Amino acid sequence: MSRAGKGMGMSGRWRGRRWLVVLGCLLSLALAGCRQGEPKKAPSMATGPQTVVWPQDKAYTGAYVDFGEAEDQVTIEAIEQFEKMVGKRQAVIAFSSFWGEQSFPAQKLELLSRHGSLPLVFWSPWDRPYDQRRPPDKFSLHAILAGKWDRYIDRWADGARAFGRPMLVAWGLEMNGNWFPWSGFFYGAGRVIPGTDPPQYEGPELYRRAYRYVVDRVRARGVINILWGFHVNHTTFPDLPWNRMARYYPGPEYVDWLGMSTYGMQVNTQGWCQFIEVNEGAYRELAAVDQAKPMVLAEWGVGEFPAHGSKAEWIRSAFELLQNRYSRFKAAVYWHERWQNADKSYSNLRVNSSPEALEAYRQGVASGYWLDRPIYRPR
Amino acid sequence: MAESERDAFVFLDRGGKRWPRLRLVTLLAALLAFVGLVLFVQSLLTMPRLQQPRSLAVLQDRLKKLQAQEAAKPADTKPIWLKAAPGQPRKGVAGGVHAGNGGKEIRLGFYAGWDPASLVSLKEHAGELTHLSPKWLTMVDGEGTLEVAVDDDVRELARDAGIVLMPRLDNLRGDTWLPEAVEGLLYGPPARREKFISEVVEQLTEAEAGGVIIDWCQLDPTYRGQVTSLLLELATVLHQRGMQLWFGVPVGDELRAFDLEALAPVVDRFVGMLHDENSEYDEPGPIASQPWFEGWLKVVTSYGRPEQWVISLGTYGYDWPQGGKADFIGFADAMARAGRAGVRCSVKPPYGNPFFSYVEENRRHTVWFLDAVSFANQLLAVRRLGLGGVAIFQLGTEDPAIWQTLKLPVATTDRRQFAFLQSMPAGELIANLGRGDFIRVEDARADGARDVRVTADGAIASRYLRFPSYLTVTHQGEGTGDQVAITFDDGPDARWTPRILDILKERQVKAAFFMVGNKMEDNPELVRRMLAEGHEVGVHTYYHPDLAEVSAERALLELNATQRLLEKIAGRSTLLFRPPYNADSRPANEAGIIPVQIAQGLGYLTVGHSIDPKDWQKPGTEELLERVKAGRAFGRVILLHDAGGDRRQTVEALPAIIDYLETRGDRIVPLGALIGLESAALMPPPAYQSPFARLVSERGFSVLHSLEKFLWAFMIVATILVALRTFAVIGLAMRQRRASVAAGGFAPPVSVMIAAYNEEKVIASTLTALLRSDYEGGMEIIVVDDGSTDGTAEEVEAVSRRDDRVRLIRQENLGKARALRAGLAAARHEIVVTLDADTQFQPDTVRELVAPLNDPGVGAVSGHAKVGNRRTFIARCQDLEYTCGFNLDRRAYHHLNCITVVPGAVSALRKSAVLSAGGISTDTLAEDTDLTLCLHRLGYRVAYAPAAIAWTEAPERFASLARQRFRWAFGTLQCLWKHRDLVFSGPNRALGWFSLPGLWFFQIVLVAVGPLVDAFLVSALFAGGGLRIALFIGFFLGMDLLLAVLACRLEPEPLRNAWRIVPMRFVYRPLLSWVVWKSLVKAGKGVWVGWGKQERSGSVTMPSIGNG
Repeated sequence: MSRAGKGMGMSGRWRGRRWLVVLGCLLSLALAGCRQGEPKKAPSMATGPQTVVWPQDKAYTGAYVDFGEAEDQVTIEAIEQFEKMVGKRQAVIAFSSFWGEQSFPAQKLELLSRHGSLPLVFWSPWDRPYDQRRPPDKFSLHAILAGKWDRYIDRWADGARAFGRPMLVAWGLEMNGNWFPWSGFFYGAGRVIPGTDPPQYEGPELYRRAYRYVVDRVRARGVINILWGFHVNHTTFPDLPWNRMARYYPGPEYVDWLGMSTYGMQVNTQGWCQFIEVNEGAYRELAAVDQAKPMVLAEWGVGEFPAHGSKAEWIRSAFELLQNRYSRFKAAVYWHERWQNADKSYSNLRVNSSPEALEAYRQGVASGYWLDRPIYRPR
Repeated sequence: MAESERDAFVFLDRGGKRWPRLRLVTLLAALLAFVGLVLFVQSLLTMPRLQQPRSLAVLQDRLKKLQAQEAAKPADTKPIWLKAAPGQPRKGVAGGVHAGNGGKEIRLGFYAGWDPASLVSLKEHAGELTHLSPKWLTMVDGEGTLEVAVDDDVRELARDAGIVLMPRLDNLRGDTWLPEAVEGLLYGPPARREKFISEVVEQLTEAEAGGVIIDWCQLDPTYRGQVTSLLLELATVLHQRGMQLWFGVPVGDELRAFDLEALAPVVDRFVGMLHDENSEYDEPGPIASQPWFEGWLKVVTSYGRPEQWVISLGTYGYDWPQGGKADFIGFADAMARAGRAGVRCSVKPPYGNPFFSYVEENRRHTVWFLDAVSFANQLLAVRRLGLGGVAIFQLGTEDPAIWQTLKLPVATTDRRQFAFLQSMPAGELIANLGRGDFIRVEDARADGARDVRVTADGAIASRYLRFPSYLTVTHQGEGTGDQVAITFDDGPDARWTPRILDILKERQVKAAFFMVGNKMEDNPELVRRMLAEGHEVGVHTYYHPDLAEVSAERALLELNATQRLLEKIAGRSTLLFRPPYNADSRPANEAGIIPVQIAQGLGYLTVGHSIDPKDWQKPGTEELLERVKAGRAFGRVILLHDAGGDRRQTVEALPAIIDYLETRGDRIVPLGALIGLESAALMPPPAYQSPFARLVSERGFSVLHSLEKFLWAFMIVATILVALRTFAVIGLAMRQRRASVAAGGFAPPVSVMIAAYNEEKVIASTLTALLRSDYEGGMEIIVVDDGSTDGTAEEVEAVSRRDDRVRLIRQENLGKARALRAGLAAARHEIVVTLDADTQFQPDTVRELVAPLNDPGVGAVSGHAKVGNRRTFIARCQDLEYTCGFNLDRRAYHHLNCITVVPGAVSALRKSAVLSAGGISTDTLAEDTDLTLCLHRLGYRVAYAPAAIAWTEAPERFASLARQRFRWAFGTLQCLWKHRDLVFSGPNRALGWFSLPGLWFFQIVLVAVGPLVDAFLVSALFAGGGLRIALFIGFFLGMDLLLAVLACRLEPEPLRNAWRIVPMRFVYRPLLSWVVWKSLVKAGKGVWVGWGKQERSGSVTMPSIGNG
């Protein structure tokens, strides 16, 4: 019990975090998109004792609360501290289950279940070290499709079945970028598959196959409590036709909800963009992918850069827009983390990066629109 | 003396057989009790060492021998400090002189309030420090809110030692740095900074600090400029208040957040934190290797002025378990590990930091630490640069030899000067080893030694030849990370324990109960229920004393008695022990160490606690839960209490605590699970004992227990009765006072009689005073000389010659009663006034005394005796006693017509009544009491005349007082016995139901058992019932005082006299007890008791006469 603060020079846990490559804002406000459809219940692919109700005129509030290097150190202390800070319980708690850990997070799910939060698991097929912009590793899409990880998938599925309560799972998130090794970018990208018309592209097609393979395999183990998410990044990179969100969509029978990551300025090499600027076009594009599915803002956040813009304003505006303009989002999960970049500067996405930001978050989330616990119904 | 007279003496045992029989019975009973007691005590004092399961011994041996491992060669230190050098290299500075602090080197100690060793070190070395930096101010949010933890003891210690306090102002809470706490100020509105600064200044002023040391980490380098501005603002305000701003300079990447060039003119001192080269989260490596140290030293001190710099030297170490976060350890801890593992260890280039590796339970550990040799090398490097001074990080972790090192001259290459480093005395350090709440103390203190030499380049190198062995506390029972145990101390309690057991049962949770023997006796069924429901039980001593404070025998008794009791109640023994008061799992002083040593000597396992929500403070149910939550981050054994006060909050918080732990993913386990043992193994069947010995020890507990219960019940009853009596007496006395009427008109002729035996000193003045009486009726004075051997008769005759109202009757010595008889026979008048030969009447006394006899129903009148010789303490005490007795008791009794004694010293009697009551009897020593009771039998009223004051002579010395009181006590006992049929019957109800039972209880029973009660109270006091006892004593004294004050008001006497009642209690009570017991024994023996003769001094004066 070294409560002894070890003097100074504590090692900053510095890590090359994601999105270093994200370019400036995409101003795609003018994009004609689909009408905001009425939220509908996910088509039930499974039968079981309980499932989640996507609220009609409200949305769940949630967060990822800096769970460490592998994004899986879920502790009640961290969750309660966050809840106390923002003044609201969390209906959804997100964390990751990286394939490199080769484990099913049973204890963490139990913890969330006892705490009364709906788990959102980012089930990401990559290996240590979890650094972005690395090419595919032993968990490559090819390896998965070749059946090399079937046993792991089965084990994971058995764990999920044993858990038995509803859980959200996003497999292979932000595939429309170039920083995760499961992105189409690494698998032939926009190369046209010979003999396809209209043309299909190698990268996205392989991703779709792998997605379906994994979901099929899990379902084959009798798992009915998972709600599968198709989770894209708000900016598509490279921003080319072959890389559009819809290109990756595995199909309505494989997906229960559409997820998206939306971030404002994260590193000091970027410029400042308002929430509406970074979200509008992407929202419309994703909404058009499948008009029948509920949508989830599976990650959102912005860094603290007082010289560039007001984080408090950004958060205020986000809450306002989420409630009034982007109401197909049935849940919004804030990414609460601060990390150090390679240049030793910090990206502070935490809600409490400044007292003003925290106050804006507290006020925003206090609205009755944001539900603090999940609603279930018997199936 | 005639035989027939003797026959009529109460208690006289003619056959003389009563006493021998009584004595025999008593002797046999005492013998039996004694044998029983001896056997009982023997069963408590001789207990074989508890039988521990073998697996436990194996477990305990684990930490005894660690296995040495070849230490891995660490990676070379990369010279990253070169990147942090200023653009313009400065010229080197000449070393040797310490400027800027009046030529005196600054010696700053970093103090850690959470580590008791830090306090020990501070106390020992206060004289060698100039500055002290405790972690007192923590910034916790971006609003500039401070968490303040000022320790007043440390503040006073520093003030007394003349040490300047420089509290640390940091952003480290628990184990987490909070960069937002600083950054929020940097770009926030100016008002926020101003508020923060004024808050800091206020706290520093209140703490009597000389300034503050900034210690900030993990700041974003983007805000370098803003950091400088904020510190400038702070420095300005501090300087206005005469305080200093010191700035802790981290090295490595952290340094990027600070612009030292810009800060140099702002801050008064830089404190270079030249340690933590590898932090506890890093891979194992040096704490401050010499090249790293010197590299950074050179770089950082090139900013600002050299004398501006204070360099913090590390004294601690880290123990990295393989693949995990390191434990922060001190030098003693490192020695304990190295000694057990038998490693080789040295201080030499290139690192100049000692390190070693060992294996514990198949887990490899790597230890890097700093000692006095590395300290000396770094100190010399600092001094060569002529800087402002050094700091020690942190007090309590250091190799004791550093203090000697600090005395080294600036430059030295003489090997002999380092000779002191070679011997390493075992000293008073306490080392800790292992993790967990099962603790053992190993005391194999032995000195160590190291070989020290100076290398060619002037560095000191050393090699450990023999590791010193310190007092070592070993810890076990860390369990797996998700195991947690709940324990309850101080029970069982009839009110709270069942509720706790109900909750545990419902939640299917097993807990451990550390119980106190005397409460187990009260609630044996709860002990059995605990065991039946699968909980663990442990010994928490019998009376809950601080085992470090009591004798070794007492400690043994405390443990054995509780163990025996458990065996009796439950048929199980237990190996589990938790000491009262000092049960923290990291004992740091004797108070914590001694109980552990005692218990382990008997074979117990001491279980401390690492989560202490302090439920006895009753902080509120929610706060209790919060404290458990906070503690769970570090600990695994929760301490709660199921007795010893109102435990409502504990009961209410328990389900929430269980909920929380289960939500957290913890498994709530019995203590045994933490060390991998079944609970049953910790609670084996009792060791073999003969059935007879067991019977004795079980009976012994029952007897002791009933005795204790009886005494407590007796105390309570006595208390209630005393209170009732006190208030009754006060009420009645007040009513009597209002009802009393003035005397007057009734003045028949009276006969005054005095029995005198050897009263030559006083008789003349007694008569003279009497003759001055203003009584209007006729008066004859009869003095009966009871065969005096001095000049009494001559004195009386002399007076008689002057005044013919005085008559002398002489008889051989027959005792006072017979003298009075003779006087009565000679009396010519119907009204007879009696007084003692040493008693002086006031002129109005006879008039007042006779007045009530105007009522023919009144048979006797008691006057108001006062002490005339208030010269000694003893006499003054009696004065107060008389004041109380005559003003309150007698007034009250008068009101109810139940006065039990008309004192011969001042009374008026109706001769016909006396004669019909049988005259003055001789079969008791208290003929006046006897007569009074006889008059009551005949239905006469007995009155009190408060204004009939007589000044009497009280014994002035203890011995004569004792004789007098024995006579009274024995006489009273005789009268009570003789008139025992009057109790609860007889025509006079007030007498039968109030005054006579009162006499029995308050003057015989209560006084007789006084010493027993005293002994009980004293033993209870030692057993920790201090408050209860103080309440009792306070209550009785309070009652006494109340009476005394009222009596003095009524008299009236000065109120300050009333205070005398307090010391009086302590003189009188033993005396009265003694005379009552002596009387009882004499009554048992049935012998005749004669009159003692009081010494007369002839010193009675009448102080109130002059005052009218």
